[in-house]
Amino acid sequence: MATLSIHAVSKIFAGDTAAVDAVSLEIADGELVCLLGPSGSGKSTLLRMVGGFEQPTVGSIAIDGQDVTRLPPEQRPTGMVFQSHALWSHMNVFNNLAFGLKLRRRPKGEIRDRVEAVLDLVGLKGYDRRMTHELSGGQQQRVALARSLILEPKILLLDEPFASLDQHLRERLREEVRDIQLRLKITTLFVTHGQDEALSMADRIVVMRNGRTEQTDRPEVVYRNPLTPFVAGFIGTMNFIEGKVETGRFRHADFAVDLPVADGPVTLAVRPEALDLVPADGVRQATVNRVTDFGTHGLVDLSLSDGTRIKSLVRRPGPFHPGQGVGLKPRAFAAFRDTVKLYGAIDAEPADQH
Amino acid sequence: MLGKASARGLVGLLLVALPVSLVGWLVIWPIISAVQRTVWRASPDGAGHFDLSSYVFFFSDAYSLNNLSLTLWTTSVCAALLLVVSLPIALYLRFARGRLASYVQALAILPMFVPSVILAYALIRVLGPNGLIDLLLNAAGLPKLRTPYLTPWGPVIGLVWDNIPLTVLILLSGLGAVGNSAIEAARDVGANRRQRLWHIILPQITTSILVALSFAVLGIFSAFTLPYLLGPASPEMMGPYMQRTFRDLNDPVGAVTQAVVTFGFCIVFGLFYVRSVARNQGK
Repeated sequence: MATLSIHAVSKIFAGDTAAVDAVSLEIADGELVCLLGPSGSGKSTLLRMVGGFEQPTVGSIAIDGQDVTRLPPEQRPTGMVFQSHALWSHMNVFNNLAFGLKLRRRPKGEIRDRVEAVLDLVGLKGYDRRMTHELSGGQQQRVALARSLILEPKILLLDEPFASLDQHLRERLREEVRDIQLRLKITTLFVTHGQDEALSMADRIVVMRNGRTEQTDRPEVVYRNPLTPFVAGFIGTMNFIEGKVETGRFRHADFAVDLPVADGPVTLAVRPEALDLVPADGVRQATVNRVTDFGTHGLVDLSLSDGTRIKSLVRRPGPFHPGQGVGLKPRAFAAFRDTVKLYGAIDAEPADQH
Repeated sequence: MLGKASARGLVGLLLVALPVSLVGWLVIWPIISAVQRTVWRASPDGAGHFDLSSYVFFFSDAYSLNNLSLTLWTTSVCAALLLVVSLPIALYLRFARGRLASYVQALAILPMFVPSVILAYALIRVLGPNGLIDLLLNAAGLPKLRTPYLTPWGPVIGLVWDNIPLTVLILLSGLGAVGNSAIEAARDVGANRRQRLWHIILPQITTSILVALSFAVLGIFSAFTLPYLLGPASPEMMGPYMQRTFRDLNDPVGAVTQAVVTFGFCIVFGLFYVRSVARNQGK
């Protein structure tokens, strides 16, 4: 289908606020890339610049090698799905989908066939005569997706398309969208602030913060090998424990662990599933605050003596109870000093403990 | 439970009783009374009888019909001009950002706070004989233009200016309901400015346009001050005509007949408004 190249793109709004700051990104043909970040990280602004709804202050955007930086949205080979569906409420489903084709003066027969085909693709066959307000939220979002796909854009842009839907519908729709994207092999840029969405759908994730790219990698790499404390904390749940390294050993008031880095202050990052809990054996390293049983696993909330709250994911929560003293045994961890990663990966599975 | 519900119902009835009574007393009753006065007349012997002669006179009198057609003409031209003038202003205010838009908004709303008499005087001083336009043309060595003052265009100019604020505000509220993303989605599928206006924006503000025009038409059809001060003596609009029939010709039945005819036209526009609101609520 198409490739997308974003080269050193910045967007500076009035008052010198850089919503997007020198972001570069290459998206391969048929790839689905998620822009992930908190509110105000610049992900939607970047997406809107690709769609042509915002003009970059500097930098360039090319689709299939052709510079589209200054082209208005109506002349770009992109299709956008908006968070609010943005369906035209005065038109029925058929007219919503056919509008773009009518503007291009396609023959009536072709319009009818393509509308039917795209409705079939999104699982809404037979809904063409419905008014948009007669559809559920999920159906409306499917129509919005169909409206973008019917014009066969080179790049599909999705701006938090499931944000207004409930959890179950969101999970089902993201699987459907991913299936459609894989079937059509359409190059897709997807904005979300939901890590689950990014991890489950993306070929690559771009984690953004304050208009800049923090890390661009495959989902499993972003999760298991975050390059910055922000990425480590933003994707999944992460325990951060402040301490000091002295002669190759990380020391906290409550426990210590070998860490082969230069002496100095360090933040230890441990995923809950990589933090085993062991019997205290007379040395209480942490105190259990609360135990939550999720059926398939348990989550134990703990406190260290300095007030730091951490979590441990256990296979069986039964043996733990509030007030209990436990020992800590991190199996895999990373270490950061300031924003620089000094050590390790945090890949781990929950141990079969207790 | 039933007692509580009945008490709540009673409170509700009491709350609406006053406005409903006022509408009945000040609006419904005068209408019934006016119609009754024009169709049920007293004979010299004191007995009442059914009589449509005042309507027969109105609809057979060339002068009355001229006045009615001037009123209809003025109302239609004003409505068309109001839409032509107010829609671009409302569109600009809806989509423009920055300080200039605030100034334009202030200017567009200004006439709402200017009394009609002051407005008429200002227009006479600007557009009338030896007014500002004349003076400027004279200073520039250009010939005089024919003044619209005391022609049918005088009231048109005044009424359009006077009705711009309300029309703009109603259109603006309709445009506020058209989401930015709906317009962006149209751009995304390739619609240019004209296509976005015609296919996306206008169909979504049809109700607002109808409401704005209904309001403007209702006000203009029965306007008095501006047609009286700026319009021609003959033919004249229904407002001044009624007043002159009542006061100068001392013909109250004739004046009430003109009022009932005016009301008949206004109620058609009123029904447009009610239908628009009902359709909107039904959505």
